[in-house]
Amino acid sequence: MKKLIFILSILVLFSCEEEGILTKNVEQVPVDEELAVLKYSGTFETTSGISGEGKTKIFLEGNQYKLILEDYSIENGPDLKVYLSKSNSPDDFVNLGNLNPSATYLIPSSVNMTEYPFVLIHCQQYNHLFAIAQLVQN
Amino acid sequence: MKTLKFGIVLFFATSFLHAQGCSDAGICSIGKAFQEETKTFKNSFEINSILGQGDGNVSIFTQTLSYTRKFTDKFSLGSRVTYNLANGDFGTRGQFGDAYLIGNYQFKETNNKQWSVLLGWKFPFTTANAKINNISLPMDYQASLGTFDLFLGTNLNYKAWDFNLAIQIPVFNNNKNSYFDELSVSDDFPTTNLFERKSDALFRTIYTLKTANNKFLFKPNVLFIYHLGEDTFENQFSNRETIKGSDGLTINGNLIGIYNINSKNSIELSVATPFVVRDIRPDGLTRSFVLGLNYRVLF
Repeated sequence: MKKLIFILSILVLFSCEEEGILTKNVEQVPVDEELAVLKYSGTFETTSGISGEGKTKIFLEGNQYKLILEDYSIENGPDLKVYLSKSNSPDDFVNLGNLNPSATYLIPSSVNMTEYPFVLIHCQQYNHLFAIAQLVQN
Repeated sequence: MKTLKFGIVLFFATSFLHAQGCSDAGICSIGKAFQEETKTFKNSFEINSILGQGDGNVSIFTQTLSYTRKFTDKFSLGSRVTYNLANGDFGTRGQFGDAYLIGNYQFKETNNKQWSVLLGWKFPFTTANAKINNISLPMDYQASLGTFDLFLGTNLNYKAWDFNLAIQIPVFNNNKNSYFDELSVSDDFPTTNLFERKSDALFRTIYTLKTANNKFLFKPNVLFIYHLGEDTFENQFSNRETIKGSDGLTINGNLIGIYNINSKNSIELSVATPFVVRDIRPDGLTRSFVLGLNYRVLF
């Protein structure tokens, strides 16, 4: 039994969860303030039990819509995503990726912006909605 | 004490290899549960280190701990815990993977034939959504498939031959992977956002060769795994999409060599490679080469 405990201890010591350094990532393409035109904006309203505030803006730069978050301080959660949504609930949406307040999100060219009047912050892993921003056309 | 030292040295030696397990979802290693343990001892403890090389320049190291208890001459219960460390272009990510609990019942031997049946369950420790620096990683980097799986199997032993037939059924899916090919810098991996995996069926034939003194055993075997349906994921537009070509046959060749140090201790070296693979393997089970080293102690 001593053998078992000893070997088990060694395994635990050497097998802790490891998260290394990210060595490959998509290069961020920031909004070009000279070329981009602000098309939509919105202010986040948090859902019950979630605190913080933030805004979102959508620019058109050439033929590419780009979404950014501004003054974003909504509390963090596991596996938060940014959705461009047809309604204020995550039923029919475009998943723009993991939440990163400093990121510029590229909206797929096939998206008809008039059909997606909401931006949602949603925890995909536990299916919990954190915040909703209704977009206003500028 | 000598044995213990040997075991520890072996463990350390293998720990610094960057290894990984069999190129399947767990089903190919459950065949071990069929193997007859010695009549003298009731307990078996194993440490296994496995190195694998997958697609997209990912090398995967798996460490497993197994304990099997023989309750009667016919019935045994085995448990196993896995730890995976994946290293590739995205970086390095390590986590505990799955726990297995497998019961094995052997029927009475008649005319050199012995049947046994197996019932098992796999519990994932993760939701297959490990990230590095908040960047979602493909399934190749995940320690588990994120599914609670049922194993059902049977084995026929006839003289030096073993024939395994088994099925692995994902009963409950808890895969929360969020990797999108469209949002990634890499083109090596398919989208597996909220991935749902289908069942596998396995057929394996093993031939056992023994030296006269029973010190060395060689077990060449061929493993057929049929993935019984096309896997699915949720695309960027929140629609579920089928992954064409993710079903089908994988054929693996595997050679196992066992050295019995004494009646209680043995080491095993296993080399495996697939000869036929599915068109696309979104589950990340893409190892092109697997090398395993196993130490077993009976008590």
